[in-house]
Amino acid sequence: MKKGYKVLIIDDSEEILRAYKKFFRKKNYIVSTASNGLDGLKILEAEPCDYDLVITDIVMPNISGVGIISIVKKKFPDILIIAITGWGEHPEMLASEAEADLVLDKPIDLSELDKLIINLLESKKKLL
Amino acid sequence: MQKGPPVIGVSRAINKICDLVDHVADTGLNIIIAGETGVGKEVIAQNLYQKSPRCGKPFVKVNCAALPEGLLESELYGYERGAFTGAEQKKRGKFELANGGVLFLDEIGDMPILLQSKLLHVLQSGEFAPLGSEKEFKTDTWLIAATNHNLEDEIKNKTFREDLYYRLNIIKISIPPLRERPEDIPHLLNYYIGVYTSKFNNRSILQPSQALLNKLTEYHWPGNVRELQNVLKRVLVIGDWDEIIDELDFSGSTHEISEQEQVRTDQSIPASNHFFFKNGEKPDLKSFSLKEIKKKALDKVEKEAISYVLEKTGWNRSKASKILQISYKTLLYKISDLGITPPAG
Repeated sequence: MKKGYKVLIIDDSEEILRAYKKFFRKKNYIVSTASNGLDGLKILEAEPCDYDLVITDIVMPNISGVGIISIVKKKFPDILIIAITGWGEHPEMLASEAEADLVLDKPIDLSELDKLIINLLESKKKLL
Repeated sequence: MQKGPPVIGVSRAINKICDLVDHVADTGLNIIIAGETGVGKEVIAQNLYQKSPRCGKPFVKVNCAALPEGLLESELYGYERGAFTGAEQKKRGKFELANGGVLFLDEIGDMPILLQSKLLHVLQSGEFAPLGSEKEFKTDTWLIAATNHNLEDEIKNKTFREDLYYRLNIIKISIPPLRERPEDIPHLLNYYIGVYTSKFNNRSILQPSQALLNKLTEYHWPGNVRELQNVLKRVLVIGDWDEIIDELDFSGSTHEISEQEQVRTDQSIPASNHFFFKNGEKPDLKSFSLKEIKKKALDKVEKEAISYVLEKTGWNRSKASKILQISYKTLLYKISDLGITPPAG
C-alpha cells in the first residue's frame, strides 16, 4: 500500500485513541491524536497543508465533531473527514449536513475503515 | 452596541475559554454557553460577537425565562397585523431584528417545549414565519444560547428536546463557578474596584487588605461574579469592608468538612440498615444491580430534599424551584415522578 498518509484522530476517549493509533501506525499512516475539538483544530492550524484525513467522534467537549466538520470543510477544504457516531440519528444527520465525506456508526471495524479510507483517498487523487 | 466587559481571570479554565472563543468566534456555528447563575455567560456571548465578523451588526438578547409562552413566541418571531385579537399593528420579531447579527437566547432551558419545536424548525430550515403570516422569511442569525440548567438532565426528564440540543450544542463553552477558580477572585475584585471607582464620581473603595483578600478568596460565592459585583457596590455605599464581610454566609465554604462528617456517619450505619435490604433480609443476588441501587438512592435523596423544600415554602412550587435551582418544569416532573404529595387538608 501507499505509504505515509497523514491522519488526525479526535476522540475524547483515551482508550479509543490508543486503539486507533496502534492500528493506523501498523498500517503505515502518520498519526496524530487530540482528545477534544479545540486541541484537534489547533493541530490542524499549526500544519494546515500536512493532513490528508481527519477522523472525528461526534459528541465531544468544547467543539463537537459537527463543529469540527464544518470548520475543516470551510478552512481546510482539501482535508477529507470521516465522522464516527454512536449516539443515534440526530448527530448523524448533522454530520452529513455539515458535509462529512463519510459518516460511520460505532462500533467500527478497523480493517473495514482502512479500506474505506484508501478508497476515499484514491478517488480524491483521481479527481485532482 | 456598547463594548461589553472583558473576560477577567488568570485561571486555567478562563484561559481555555478565551482560547476557545478566539478559535470559534468567526465560525458562525451555534453555541451553548453553560454555567451557574452570575458566572458571566453574557460576557462570553458579547466577546464572541465582538471577535466575530458580525461585530457592528445587531446583538439581540431574549430571556426565555422572563416571558410566558405566547409572548415569547411573538417576541421571537413577530406577528402580522390581525394575527390575533389586539394585534393592531405588525410587529417585527427578534429573529428579524437580529438578521445578520447575533441572537442571544438566555435561559434556553426554560423555553416551553412547543417553542423548542418551532426553534428547531428555524435552525433546520433557516426560515421563520411570523404569527399569522403565510410566508416564511429567510434568516441569517448566529444563535448563541445560554443556560444554567443541566440540559442533559432535562433531556432525560423530557423537558428539553434532544434534537434541538444537538443542533445548538455544535460548540459548548462551560464556565466553572467562581469557587472552582479562586485564583480569579483577586483579579475580578481589582477590575471592578477600578470600574466602580471611576463610575461613581471617583468615590474610592478601599483596597482590601491581604487578610481580607484571603477571606474573600475562601468565600464560596454562590452568586458568582454578579454577587462579587454586588458586594463591591455595597462596600462603596457603606464604605466599610468589615461590615459587608460579616454579612456573607461562610457556612457554604466549609462543605469539605461536612462531607468528611458525612462519610463518618455513613460508616456508622450497619449494612443491614441500607435501604436495598428489604425488611432486613439479604438481597437477592440474581437481581442485584448497582445501577438500580444508585437510582433508588438518588430518588430517595431527591424526594426527601424536594419534600423538605416544598414543606418549607408551603408548597409554593415556583419558590421551591428557585431554592432547588432547577426549572419549574423539572420540579413539576419530579413531583409527579417521585410521587410527592401535598399534606392532607
